[in-house]
Amino acid sequence: MTSPALTPSIAVPKWAFAVALVALIVAWVVLQENGVALGAAAENVHEFFHDGRHALGVPCH
Amino acid sequence: MAPTTYTGLLTRGLAAGGIAGLAAGLVSLFVVEVPIRAALAVEEARAAAEHAEGGEHEHAELFSRGTQVVGGVLAAVVLGLAVGALFATVFAYTRRWFVDKQPFFRSAALGLSAFGVAALLPAIKYPANPPAVGDPTTVNFRTGLYLGLILAGIVVAYGASYLASRLGHLAAPVRVTAVLLATVVAVTVLLLVFPPPPDAIPADMPSGVLWDFRLASLAETATLWIGLGVVFGLLIDPAVRKSEAKAAVAA
Repeated sequence: MTSPALTPSIAVPKWAFAVALVALIVAWVVLQENGVALGAAAENVHEFFHDGRHALGVPCH
Repeated sequence: MAPTTYTGLLTRGLAAGGIAGLAAGLVSLFVVEVPIRAALAVEEARAAAEHAEGGEHEHAELFSRGTQVVGGVLAAVVLGLAVGALFATVFAYTRRWFVDKQPFFRSAALGLSAFGVAALLPAIKYPANPPAVGDPTTVNFRTGLYLGLILAGIVVAYGASYLASRLGHLAAPVRVTAVLLATVVAVTVLLLVFPPPPDAIPADMPSGVLWDFRLASLAETATLWIGLGVVFGLLIDPAVRKSEAKAAVAA
């Protein structure tokens, strides 16, 4: 069961950083957006996902 | 695309994240919404009392309750897709994470650890609060504490896997004990060092509603993170496909 072949080394392309960044931004917009990035539209995003923010345990007003 | 390439892992991460997010969304719909409704009743009673005292505090809601409930489910699905992509990327990068174990075990363990770091740890120090709890003036401070604790938890998780890899010369039971002990000490220090939550719980919020909400919130985050680890593990482990092929032959 200790065969090293179980975890083949996976070549991670450079654009994986872009994927991670996009994922973090999406998570930020859903959970945190308080007007830093989206300005006036933020209030709509905030209120639409309001139940989700509370339910997922994120600090909210 | 095979689960041995990054693209193959990424598509499976998105699929697993979507499925786990939808499951978490259903927990939100059927479990978390119950104490949320109770908390909103408290908020409405408060507004009605203020109104009776002549206070001008009428504000129109941007979205109806029904829309916000849908938004709650969608938040879990969208977050599931995002953390699914992150999960696949972290999984592809990991070089020390239970290297001698089957892919399903590695994935499930990563999902369980992610739940511990991203949900359980902040839930212990800064438990989730329903609507009608929380001072708007402290929201940035509270967000900073919450994200800071998660970041510190990621450092502890990374440190634990690093320590385990450095203690490879020890017998497995001794190594596991040492890593567990170090993790418990580090988490205890974190919980003691981080300042307490700044907001008081309003007196009109029943403790039963608060408790129900916090448990329900944990159920949702557990569904999201542990579900992600398990579904991703099922999707990438070649052993699953082999047993499916065997079952197909047998049928």
